[in-house]
Amino acid sequence: MSENRALQRAHILANHILRSPPLPSSLSLAREVCLQYSPPELNESYGFDVKEMRRLLDGHNTEDRDWLYGLMMQSNLFNRKERGGKIFVSPDYNQTMEQQREITMKRIWYLLEKGVYRGWLTDSGPEAELKKLALLEVCGIYDHSLSIKLGVHFFLWGNAVKFFGTKRHHEKWLKNTEDYVVKGCFAMTELGHGSNVRGIETVTTYDPRTGEFVINTPCESAQKYWIGGAAKHATHTIVFSQLNINGTNQGVHAFIAQIRDEDGNICPNIRVADCGHKIGLNGVDNGRIWFDNLRIPRENLLNSVADVSPDGEYVSAIKDPDQRFGAFMAPLTSGRVTIASSAIYSAKVGLAIALRYSLSRRAFSVKANGPEVLLLDYPSHQRRLLPLLAKTYAMSFAANDLKMIYVKRTPETNKAIHVVSSGLKAVLTWHNMHTLQECREAVGGQGVKTENLVGQLKGEFDVQTTFEGDNNVLMQQVSKALFAEYVSCKKRNKPFRGLGLEHMNSSRPVLPTQLSSSTLRCSQFQKNVFCLRERDLLERFTSEVAQLQGRGESRESSFLVNHELAEDLGKAFTEKAILQTILDAEAKLPAGSMKDVLGLVRSMYALISIEEDPSFLRYGYLSRDNVGDVRREVSKLCGELRPHALALVSSFGIPDAFLGPIAFNWVEANAWSSV
Amino acid sequence: MASHSQVLVEEKSSVRILTLNRPKQLNALSFQMISRLLQLFLAYEEDPSVKLVILKGQGRAFCAGGDVSAVVRDIGQGNWRLGAKFFADEYMLNYVMATYTKPQVSILNGIVMGGGAGVSVHGPFRIATQNTVFAMPETVLGLFPDVGASYFLSRLPGFFGEYVGLTGARLDGADMLACGLATHYLPSTRLTALEAELCRVDSSDPTVVSAILDAYTQNPHLKQQSAYHRLDVIDRCFSGRTVEEIIAALEREASDDWISTTIRALKKASPASLKISLRSIREGRLQGVGQCLSREYRMVCHVLKGDISKDFVEGCRAILIDKDKNPKWEPWRLEEMKDRMVEQYFKRVEEEEDLKLPARKNLPALAMAKL
Repeated sequence: MSENRALQRAHILANHILRSPPLPSSLSLAREVCLQYSPPELNESYGFDVKEMRRLLDGHNTEDRDWLYGLMMQSNLFNRKERGGKIFVSPDYNQTMEQQREITMKRIWYLLEKGVYRGWLTDSGPEAELKKLALLEVCGIYDHSLSIKLGVHFFLWGNAVKFFGTKRHHEKWLKNTEDYVVKGCFAMTELGHGSNVRGIETVTTYDPRTGEFVINTPCESAQKYWIGGAAKHATHTIVFSQLNINGTNQGVHAFIAQIRDEDGNICPNIRVADCGHKIGLNGVDNGRIWFDNLRIPRENLLNSVADVSPDGEYVSAIKDPDQRFGAFMAPLTSGRVTIASSAIYSAKVGLAIALRYSLSRRAFSVKANGPEVLLLDYPSHQRRLLPLLAKTYAMSFAANDLKMIYVKRTPETNKAIHVVSSGLKAVLTWHNMHTLQECREAVGGQGVKTENLVGQLKGEFDVQTTFEGDNNVLMQQVSKALFAEYVSCKKRNKPFRGLGLEHMNSSRPVLPTQLSSSTLRCSQFQKNVFCLRERDLLERFTSEVAQLQGRGESRESSFLVNHELAEDLGKAFTEKAILQTILDAEAKLPAGSMKDVLGLVRSMYALISIEEDPSFLRYGYLSRDNVGDVRREVSKLCGELRPHALALVSSFGIPDAFLGPIAFNWVEANAWSSV
Repeated sequence: MASHSQVLVEEKSSVRILTLNRPKQLNALSFQMISRLLQLFLAYEEDPSVKLVILKGQGRAFCAGGDVSAVVRDIGQGNWRLGAKFFADEYMLNYVMATYTKPQVSILNGIVMGGGAGVSVHGPFRIATQNTVFAMPETVLGLFPDVGASYFLSRLPGFFGEYVGLTGARLDGADMLACGLATHYLPSTRLTALEAELCRVDSSDPTVVSAILDAYTQNPHLKQQSAYHRLDVIDRCFSGRTVEEIIAALEREASDDWISTTIRALKKASPASLKISLRSIREGRLQGVGQCLSREYRMVCHVLKGDISKDFVEGCRAILIDKDKNPKWEPWRLEEMKDRMVEQYFKRVEEEEDLKLPARKNLPALAMAKL
């Protein structure tokens, strides 16, 4: 083959130099037939009911989702464009920051007029909450800026009023927030303090003569920073501040302050500046705020946990400031819940585009003059994308599960929600970033065009790893919580209950030394491996910390020293929680093709997680031979999932219009006639 | 070709003119006509000497729909599967037209309803005249806008498709052109000349056909009372999430003739039909034409089988057979048509295969989306 090629090439070069007449047509480099786009649907078949799978993956409110997709597609505000004979809707990222902010606000007005937010704050109960979460997810699939701007207004400002406030605040603000009579923002983060909310420096004092609070930004590091909505649109804000009563600091409290009047002019004693252009999310007007002796009425303290009487006395049912802070922050979990699930939808968009492209784009022939090979028929391409697809499936179930426990929350489940949402927020947002990068590379140069989304989404979603708690900090919190649980159970000599730690009550699972294919795919084996890792790491972590404490170190510094174990443990806990959710989903299905495919997906999730985590070798849960078997099995599973790739991404239920043009007829979309 | 044939065929060099020929029945599509059309279209696609297909109707109708009276007879004889076969073939024809590689010009000089829209709107060129009357009246028959209507109605501007599909409102040629259901408009007196010129076409290039049609087309005036002038109200009301919300929104609008006619139309229609139609159009907006037809086939099987509601038989009785115009819908009220009942329509009927659409190779890019 190579000889033939070389000869041909030499011939061409010689002709080039000698300028002899062109080669006879049989040797011509020009192809007789041009490349033609062939839709993947023509060659791939669906091995299971895609609609049913979509229902399972979305988990709830599919009809409401479709309604909202339709609302966006039918409006000119959503930047409809035609490419290759299909309609696409996605924001024009070439607009300036100012334009993106304005169009995002206009889209919000349009959806308001269509009644999309009806009941978002005034209805309650699991059903209303799930509907709200579903609609917010759909907004995020269109544009992250849109969902963030809505999230700030409803979930941060609105929920702060709802959960930190009492009747007087609810009556005054909730309906007006739902109708966008007021536009809210949420001023917690400062230049000098982000994840460590307790360290913020904004100070509020009380003036009993006038019955007002006085809010101050005492130094530059206390300026409120990254406040979504503050730079342009918000009229009101929640201010997080230290509350100082008669010289005693009572800790962080939240207040309502007006920052703009109805005409959009900034109020006296407030200074606002822009955070400027960002690597993504430019449709959100992040700003900075300084307070200069801003006076607000006493009633503006959100007083569900603590209050100040008219004559200036501090009263709270919770005496311990630590507990008070915890009680205060508990309702903010909703942010982590929505971030985790929106990260998964973003990964779905990336994968649907990259996999559809890989089922229509060919590159290189395996045989000389043979047809070029479809990208997804390369084992290496399968290995790059299909494990990410399986993880996305598993995490999709985990995100749904988190939503379910969140909407059915009780005071008893608060701890579990905190721990699980922290772990999932971190793992799912990291997963999204890895997936988008891989998808970007997998579609080649097309991935750098913003209209094809995958590249752009990296910038749009990057901040998810940071906001609502830095991922690394959250993972440490998971380990600390597990440590506390472990210590308290041991101390009281009680069995483990909750957080999925029940397996610690029975004996340590024993893994077989030889791992056959059927063992590796057995759900009990997979569970055992994940439980073993979690259990061992938890025991190691607690014993290391205890040892250091025994040598007189503080608990906090013992944690810090053991950050590597803490990180491994956080990951082990979260990955096991994810595995459990996909196992549960699979178990609920009746026997059939859908269950079978989901079984393959679950095995892929379990085995790729093992393959990617060095803990299994490092701590000797598996032997070198074992991990070799795991690797081989992953490769086999790639081949078995390959025929289902199209059906699996079609089941994401993301309408064509919300994917990029390269997911469809990319030849036509780039044709001269479309220039 | 014999003149009593239900589909007349004229061969004019590389053009084929097909005429629907059941004028007494307003060219309602019989099982025979559908089979014949399907056979002809498939043959012409393979035949390199054919470049263009023209479809028109004999008499004052283009086509008033599918011949549902025959289907109702089948159901009456306990043979709903025979009816299902009729719809399967009809949808297959719709699909072939929607993905056709050669241009189809439909001359809509008269009534275009239901199935008539199905054999024309999926093609790339639809010519309306001053005689055109268009409607999707299925919801008063206890059926739902099918023949791929969930695909083309959902792609009309704003929520006009929901309005047309739910109320069965009549549109004239100018309305059709304005909303995109028609691509060209000319006075019927010019049709003969146009046809003659089209017959000289020796190309399947849509731009060539388009150039000829463009030269004949006129810009008609939208009538003062045209629903298209009410697009803002339609968008406001028909974007509602449910049929109940749509009616409530209409009732909140300042009442006038148009509003009350619209509300009356909705209240007259079968509640079951309204709900499944809305859901179908909403899903259709997000699907390709093949997926739309497959879904509609599942739906129509439930309609024919009558396992959830028997409104189709009742609607046909009241409108087409007894003509008392007084159907007894069951369920009678919108709120009695529960979500889980609606849901049923979208599931596969037991022991009934899904619609098997033929694989269509080498689709030109625009074959999939014409609106």
